[in-house]
Amino acid sequence: MAVDVSGATAASHEAPLERARRAAEAFGTVAVAGLLLLSFGLTSSVFLEPANLRNILVQITVVGVAAIGETLVLLVGGLDLSVGANVLLGSVVAGDLVQRHGAPLWVGIAGGVLASTGIGLLNGVLTAVIGIEAILATLGTFLLAGGIAKIVLHSSWIVVDDPFFGNLVRTHVFWQLPVMVIVLFALYAVAAAVMRMTPFGRAVYAIGGNPRAARIAGLPAVRIRIVAFALAGAFAGVAGLLQIGQLGIVSSGNAAGLEFQAITAALIGGLSVSAGGVGRVERTLLGALIVGMIANYQTIRGIPPNYQQALLGGILLLAILTDRLFRGRS
Amino acid sequence: MRARLDKRYLDAWFLAGMTVVAVVAFRFVEPSWLNRNTLQSIVTQNGPLAIVAMAMTFSIISRHIDLSPGAMLALAGVVIGLVYRDTGSLALGLLAGLGLCVATGLVNGVLVSGLGLNAIMVTLATYIWARGLALGFTNGNPIVVDTRLTAITNHTFGGFTIVAPIVVAVFVIGWLVLSKTLFGRYTHAMGGDPVGARRAGIRVGLYTTLIFVVMGVATWLASTIVVGQLASAQPYAAPSLELDAIIAVIIGGSRLAGGEGSVGRTLLGVAFISILNSGLLNLGLTDAYYQVYKGAALLAVLSAQLLLRRLAAEEVRRRQDAEQLLAEARVYA
Repeated sequence: MAVDVSGATAASHEAPLERARRAAEAFGTVAVAGLLLLSFGLTSSVFLEPANLRNILVQITVVGVAAIGETLVLLVGGLDLSVGANVLLGSVVAGDLVQRHGAPLWVGIAGGVLASTGIGLLNGVLTAVIGIEAILATLGTFLLAGGIAKIVLHSSWIVVDDPFFGNLVRTHVFWQLPVMVIVLFALYAVAAAVMRMTPFGRAVYAIGGNPRAARIAGLPAVRIRIVAFALAGAFAGVAGLLQIGQLGIVSSGNAAGLEFQAITAALIGGLSVSAGGVGRVERTLLGALIVGMIANYQTIRGIPPNYQQALLGGILLLAILTDRLFRGRS
Repeated sequence: MRARLDKRYLDAWFLAGMTVVAVVAFRFVEPSWLNRNTLQSIVTQNGPLAIVAMAMTFSIISRHIDLSPGAMLALAGVVIGLVYRDTGSLALGLLAGLGLCVATGLVNGVLVSGLGLNAIMVTLATYIWARGLALGFTNGNPIVVDTRLTAITNHTFGGFTIVAPIVVAVFVIGWLVLSKTLFGRYTHAMGGDPVGARRAGIRVGLYTTLIFVVMGVATWLASTIVVGQLASAQPYAAPSLELDAIIAVIIGGSRLAGGEGSVGRTLLGVAFISILNSGLLNLGLTDAYYQVYKGAALLAVLSAQLLLRRLAAEEVRRRQDAEQLLAEARVYA
């Protein structure tokens, strides 16, 4: 919006409106999620059944975990298109090590997460050190990671029967929630705490919000950017492990287009592609939940998956529009 | 002056060199790739990419990346196919496709320029919904469009199809518009300094919307060619056309941040990507190795170009400093 030159009088006028806007911004996503829950519950007899609600949580776990990383990258002012391919790479490496090479479980897990973290690290170096725009660099690594994953797969698939992965879905912790959902919530809790309470979190917001000021203030911008991208890779690797648990099989079609689902979840949660340093990690979980609820409701209603994708595009557009209404023109 | 100009084009010379290297390398690995028809088939296969990349040059110079063309190409093709199948009229189908592309460009343009939304986000939504509709309308199955269009599109003279003159015409028009008209100058101005452009009285909203509509028309033209070539509308067509087009424009040397770019650079970028695609596909690689080689080649070229550009900028600065010192010395002498 235009710079306010009239000063204090206008500011005092603006105050209640400004406060209302901030409240709407903070609770807008929560309100939308609540409204959807209510209207879906009223119009469908099965939607609110505990089994279905648990089902939604299981369905959003992989995207949700990958979206934590996407959120970090968006916060630091970047964009990561390699997430989907990177999730695939993590699951392929883990599955290949455990199933085809008979490696111990921990080697498979570490290998999968490390491979994905490596791609994330490469993203960080390409963008922060060499200076390639994030959208182009991560497009290149999207091709790389996807290609490497398919090479390791040998144009085949891997059925993973190690009980560890199956137990991620089958073992219930409490309220009959499976382990992977608990992992989802735990990771969000840790990420939210880190972003709020640690110097790293504050540095991410500072660098994403105003890179020049952050550099002048002496923040290690390059290092923080690299770490943010590497962490995004690590989260993608963990999401890959969870996906093995969910599907029990690793094939080249897994996680296709997942980056766009993660970006959509983050945007619905209130993040911005154009400006870093705005938004909260935990709201991305809400964004993922909203997308998950809508997808689930559409499935209950019998809408074919292709049209569900079309509607997802519409919902994304709606989210961007709402964001503009609440936040005003930047 | 001459030397400085040369330095400024260092990255373009590098890309031209890499293009030659790619041709020689592909020729070496698979001798049959380079023959009398190689150029013809590259132009025929990559015509749609070239057309969309030309429009993408305007988008990127004006700072508004457009992610919609790939999915819109598929959707426009599906609409052409559906209308043709239901009415039996190809003209009506083509008209419906054009209407859809122009309308989508208009809506995207208004959302970006009127409401100030980020172009990547708006066109990312299009990227998702358009592909969803293309798949939904057809259940993922192609629609046969066996008409005169196919005969016209695939008719060859000297190995070239009609795609060649179309691409030439599109680039000539693009060059004329970008370098000789007010619209072209405004495109540069809006990308270089949007606020300044607005203050200078340029109707930024109008011209930004126009750029999205231009992309719509280019997408429709590319879609028509693809439908003609394949004699069918494919809902999975052009899976990453927009990304190839963006890479072509950027690798040619236009800046993603806007304000800089030229038709010649885009042409060079399209040539490189087309030869890379053609050569890699000709090796009979599996999808996996194709992806890895392409990704690695792109990242390597982008990295090298950035380093070269940094060197060039330093060189220019050093020369300016030297000239200034020389001028001061003359004053004292």
